[in-house]
Amino acid sequence: MKDPNPSVVFAAMADDSGQATSNEVEKPQIEPIRLPSVEEIRGQDIWNNCAVRSVVSGVMGGGLGIFMGLFLGALDNPIMQEEMTGRQQLIYQAKQMGRRSISSAKAFAVMGFIFSAAECVVEKARAKHDMTNTAVAGCTTGGVISAKGGPRAACAGCAGFAAFSVLIEKFLEGH
Amino acid sequence: MAAPPSALDKEQIFGMAEKEMEYRVELFNKMTQTCFNKCVENRYKESELNMGENSCIDRCVSKYWHVTNLIGQLLGSGKPPM
Repeated sequence: MKDPNPSVVFAAMADDSGQATSNEVEKPQIEPIRLPSVEEIRGQDIWNNCAVRSVVSGVMGGGLGIFMGLFLGALDNPIMQEEMTGRQQLIYQAKQMGRRSISSAKAFAVMGFIFSAAECVVEKARAKHDMTNTAVAGCTTGGVISAKGGPRAACAGCAGFAAFSVLIEKFLEGH
Repeated sequence: MAAPPSALDKEQIFGMAEKEMEYRVELFNKMTQTCFNKCVENRYKESELNMGENSCIDRCVSKYWHVTNLIGQLLGSGKPPM
């Protein structure tokens, strides 16, 4: 479709009509239609790509997991051994926090990745923006995470995570 | 063969160009109206297009364009309708 872009013509027409009315009556100036530039369109295309979105969500989940792991690891009480000096206990505590944060980061990163990928794919296929997308994505994530415990655990994980993600989405939307 | 176009020819060409322009404008307006009414819900909270709306508009425009071309061809071929 290589014919001249009609949107440019219409932007010009809107511009002219805005100026005409403001000359005649004391009306507020009608803003001309500002169509997105090429960079904006490319940026939107990149952000709408499912792979990019899920990787970014995975990275954000990893970051969140690191902080959660540090926090929870700090709460864990070490096995008290009288032989360890204070400095050794500190090192042990730090290592435990590190281990905990890495495992937590991995879990959250996988969760974020799967959720975002599922939601993106479902929304693109349905061509609708709905709560069902969030519910299906939550069910998929919960099912994959709990798949090791057998089909029953997978179903429970699916339902639980779906409900959780729908609640979070409703809360975020009402904000 | 390359005779200069007479005034009448120029008028004809101008009229055809005008008609073509009107047709294009009409097509654009109708397409945006139809696809907007179909794909974007009445209540929305943000100005950016969602992914769902984006893919809906992609599909809508593609189908509209195909249908326009097909019907144009059928009408233009001059055969009686089936």
